[in-house]
Amino acid sequence: MQQDPQGSAPSTPDPVTLAVIDNRLRAIVEEMGEAMLRTSYSQILNSSRDFSIALCDAQCRLVAQADHIPVHVGAMPWAARAVAAAFAGNVHPGDTFLLNDPYFGGSHLPDLTIILPVFADGALRFWSVVRAHQSDIGGATHGGYNPGATEIWQEGVRVPPIRLGERGELREDLIRMLATNTRVARDFRGDMMAMIGAARLGERRLEGLLAHYGAAPLDAAVAAVLDLSEAHARRIVATWPDGVWQGEATLDDDGFDRQDVVIRATCTKQGESLTVDLTASDPQTTGFVNSSFANMQSAVAMAFAFLLDPEVSKNDGAFRPLVVQAREGTVVWARDGAPVTMCTSHCSNEIVEAIIRAMSGCCPQRAMGGWGRRFRVAIQGRDARRPGKGFVWHLFHARPGGGASSGGDGWSTAGEWHSAGGLKFGSVEMAEARFPLVFETHEFLPGTAGEGQFRGGLGAELSLRVESDGPCRANTAGDGIRHGSAGMCGGQDSKPHHYVLARATGEEQVLKTKSTGLVINPGDRLVVQSAGGGGWGPPEKRSAEARARDEREGYV
Amino acid sequence: MSTTLRIGIDVGGTFTDVVCIAADGTETLAKASSTPHDQSEGVVNGLRNLAIALGLDLATLLARCERIVHGTTVATNALLERKGSRLAMLTTAGHRDVIEMREGLKPERYDLRLPAPEPLVPRRLRLGVKERLRADGGVAVALDQASLDAAIAALRAEEVESVAICFLHSWRDGAHERAAGAAVAAALPGVFVTLSSDVLPQIKEFERFSTTAVNAYVGPVVSRYLGRLRGRLGEAGYGGPVFVILSHGGVAPVEEAARLAVGTALSGPAGGVAAAVALARAGLGQDLVTFDMGGTSTDIAMVAGGEAALGRGRVVGGERIALESLDIVTLGAGGGSIAHLGSGGTMQVGPQSAGAVPGPAAYGLGGTQPAVTDANLVLGYLDAGNFLGGARKLDLAAAQAAVAGLAAKLGIDVQACAMGIHRLVNARMADGVRVATVRRGVDPRDFTLLAFGGAAGLHASAVARELGLKRAAVPLFAAGLSAWGMLQSDLRYEMARSTLEAGGMPADASIAALYDQLEADARARMGQWYQGEIAVQRSADMRYGEQVFEIAVPLDGIDWQGPALAEQLRTAFHARHRALFTYDLPEEEVVLVTARAAAIGRLPATLGAQRAAGATATPLTTRRIRLEAGETEVPVFGFEALAPGQALRGPAIVESATTTVLLLPGDTARMDGRGWLEILVD
Repeated sequence: MQQDPQGSAPSTPDPVTLAVIDNRLRAIVEEMGEAMLRTSYSQILNSSRDFSIALCDAQCRLVAQADHIPVHVGAMPWAARAVAAAFAGNVHPGDTFLLNDPYFGGSHLPDLTIILPVFADGALRFWSVVRAHQSDIGGATHGGYNPGATEIWQEGVRVPPIRLGERGELREDLIRMLATNTRVARDFRGDMMAMIGAARLGERRLEGLLAHYGAAPLDAAVAAVLDLSEAHARRIVATWPDGVWQGEATLDDDGFDRQDVVIRATCTKQGESLTVDLTASDPQTTGFVNSSFANMQSAVAMAFAFLLDPEVSKNDGAFRPLVVQAREGTVVWARDGAPVTMCTSHCSNEIVEAIIRAMSGCCPQRAMGGWGRRFRVAIQGRDARRPGKGFVWHLFHARPGGGASSGGDGWSTAGEWHSAGGLKFGSVEMAEARFPLVFETHEFLPGTAGEGQFRGGLGAELSLRVESDGPCRANTAGDGIRHGSAGMCGGQDSKPHHYVLARATGEEQVLKTKSTGLVINPGDRLVVQSAGGGGWGPPEKRSAEARARDEREGYV
Repeated sequence: MSTTLRIGIDVGGTFTDVVCIAADGTETLAKASSTPHDQSEGVVNGLRNLAIALGLDLATLLARCERIVHGTTVATNALLERKGSRLAMLTTAGHRDVIEMREGLKPERYDLRLPAPEPLVPRRLRLGVKERLRADGGVAVALDQASLDAAIAALRAEEVESVAICFLHSWRDGAHERAAGAAVAAALPGVFVTLSSDVLPQIKEFERFSTTAVNAYVGPVVSRYLGRLRGRLGEAGYGGPVFVILSHGGVAPVEEAARLAVGTALSGPAGGVAAAVALARAGLGQDLVTFDMGGTSTDIAMVAGGEAALGRGRVVGGERIALESLDIVTLGAGGGSIAHLGSGGTMQVGPQSAGAVPGPAAYGLGGTQPAVTDANLVLGYLDAGNFLGGARKLDLAAAQAAVAGLAAKLGIDVQACAMGIHRLVNARMADGVRVATVRRGVDPRDFTLLAFGGAAGLHASAVARELGLKRAAVPLFAAGLSAWGMLQSDLRYEMARSTLEAGGMPADASIAALYDQLEADARARMGQWYQGEIAVQRSADMRYGEQVFEIAVPLDGIDWQGPALAEQLRTAFHARHRALFTYDLPEEEVVLVTARAAAIGRLPATLGAQRAAGATATPLTTRRIRLEAGETEVPVFGFEALAPGQALRGPAIVESATTTVLLLPGDTARMDGRGWLEILVD
């Protein structure tokens, strides 16, 4: 079942119909996102909103995408392509496809992707795509992040493209098998149903559009929408000077024997196009900071989107001026079998950083200071207030600062480059009520931002006392205790993260970013000083008023 | 005519609408220009115009008036324009940045050059005080007098007008906040003091602190305004009760509105929703989507089963307000929205608006860009000589010139461009309704679209079609419906208290005691304003153990004297979850987070009289208009002249001094004797 042969489509639709269809497509992804938010079960989805929605056309081109998590921006079409390739000629109305495998169109194992085909007149017209981060995906550690993994099979269940439902009937046996392989079968099932529901809503809305306009005119309108975005992006790129620029970014380590793993970007701007070449990046690592192919593509697309005007529609057309070159076997594109779970944060952040550093020479007004790196901690233990029930708590508080830019100082505690203010941390009161934890201090930490004409956003100080029933075990996963957030255009790097386990006994242990099996005893405190954002522009250009305000308000 | 009157007053961005309903049901609408520097001036001007319309002098009008209900945008504007009071916050030491952290969220995901907003309370005026409660309400650190004294000394030096007192876990026990508040009030007389345990005694500090900070920010401004209003009304001879409509759609006396000023942040659009509820009760239908299209924005809300949907997720002027309020979705497009060629190369409508000045190009006040109203004029839908009943002449040539500018950029003719603007606005409105309804988990196709506000009548039929709705309605009073709705609202006072037990649910006896206490408090407060019979609605915010969003569960069917109260609440929650999200999880722990009781004092309904049967109206004239299919000549009917039961067929235009309705080909319409035009779309 293929789309109509080229040439039968009518010429460009009138500008009004085009505008109406463009609006409809964007409203459909927004509506799907609302449905997902309302119906998903796990905290990571309905509170932290770690999911994304996309519509692709029959050629698997990104047509519309809801603005949820930037690191998903360019990754979704690869999932549709993986399904189209695996089931070529064997896709039917009512089918439901699923994948998570980073080596078959996925980004990392915790991100499940549901992909539904949308048909009209017996031909495949669109794909409705929903990607969502699961709270667990099996594997050796709770929550999917296993810093000890040296191969992907230690990270969780691999799902290459599978047909989860056939002609309207879901395969209950498959869902049960997958749910059984996670530690939170009920969440998993609830979230899976929410994803399928949101994707079905997209299918229904697209069928309505197809019925209203007809398949061929809609194809033509979609093509025109993509062409307009392409022209928009090219107009912006054309204003930048031609030339070749290089930038690099450095990961602290891979959790094993390698320190200072370097991502290198060579950016060649010519006319209306930009080529990003990552082939000189370091070889892939033993631990999980490697990127999958689709995630690398997405990270590059994200960096490019950050450099364009925010008004540019994030669709296939917008990314046509971009050419990506990379080599398999490097840290940005690992060979099948390597662990990759950390990659949506690291090395995504460093791919962006290397590109923005390079482009700061080309379009400095658009280059922004680095956003903080992710350093997560998960604590597992028992709570005397709930006998017989264990708890697992994930650190989302004490977020790092956002980067400064030509627009002004960075946003404080707004998080990392890959989420850019899209992930929410929960209420301290709620956390204290539900977990045996006391947040003694959770405030901005003055002086953490990178200096500059505009300074980065502030990081935070967290002092967290653990009052568990008996000892807890903790894992860490992240980066950024040796390298701070990148300063740009003369702005300075921020201080790196500094996490300490302060024992009730008075002993102090500085935490590493990739460790398992830490023991935390009741009365011990986790003391976090998170990094601020990177600065932008030379500090000597910072205005006297801005410095006086920093002084007065206690930001420095 | 010595009959008593009730008066509703809605202050909008351009006009102040004043609606009067007499004891015999006679309804009268008057308008005056709004006076943003002091809205009470426009209010009195509107009353004066109303008196003229009724052939009375102002003093006589007010002497006959037994109740004034007022919707004000003073709090909203103070927030939007950042013109609130100079405020400070006292908070738990170690947690002074809660409101500036905003839970780590930033809007506009791909705009990394967007500057961070200024916090409502500057950091230096967010002062930590040594004190700490534990999550169970126990005192971990007693309120430290020395640190409180130091904070108060700092406030004195800064000459603040208001102080928000926001301590962690104060929803469990407000004693520390009360002690600190009393100390501030004693040391700084005249300063507006507000406590988070008073404003919103429920868990989640960002929502509670932010709402309390907004209350401190707008409190003095709203108090001063309501004081001036009372003064002006007093001078004009009015000594009766003045009520303010609040964000939740109920009304309260001015004193209460001044105390909880943050509760007036959505006062403006609340009247329209109250009107929809009243019309639902009057027989329009139990399920309505309100579509209130004004000059710069459009408000969309739902009435399901005859009740307005409430929510707690409002952001006004970038600030989070977590009070229970009507769930209204606002789109940045209305009659004054400008159509333009976007930077991406497609035609767009809004968010820029022509506003009241210069207004659409057709106003002839210097506007040169095409607004939606200009397109509607070019298409022939509006009468250039009889806009606002002839109060404003429209300049067709100016409208055509404005549309022609955009048409040239798009390479199409003027008529096609005007048609395009009209279609694009309809599509945006329909998308807004879809998103608003999916948020409530509702399929809108069985709902009736209730269109009001000056601009909605021209778009109602087309928007209903886009959505697959079969029915729309436009009230005769479309342009003053919000003011009318204020006269249909009941008194309402909300009490809420969080509770969080390790096992998810308190014991049966504790649940009963909690609700009895809430109800007693709510009744006592209402009893200070109102002597009639008080009804109480109980509800609960509940969730499953691992969820973070609570859902609101009405508790109407609970047998409070019966056994197994906790189990009854659990059952009600499972059912509600199933209704909203299609599934429930009977094995899972159920958590009661916040108990609520709303005291309701029913004010007598003031619906208008049934319209008397009259002769079937004939068209006033015919007009040439442009529809999607091409140009056509259509009859124009006078809205007021339509006889109850009179049927019309589209295409046709129905117009009054304040609104115009476009019936499309295939529509059948019928004038309802209760005051609205019912449209059945093909």
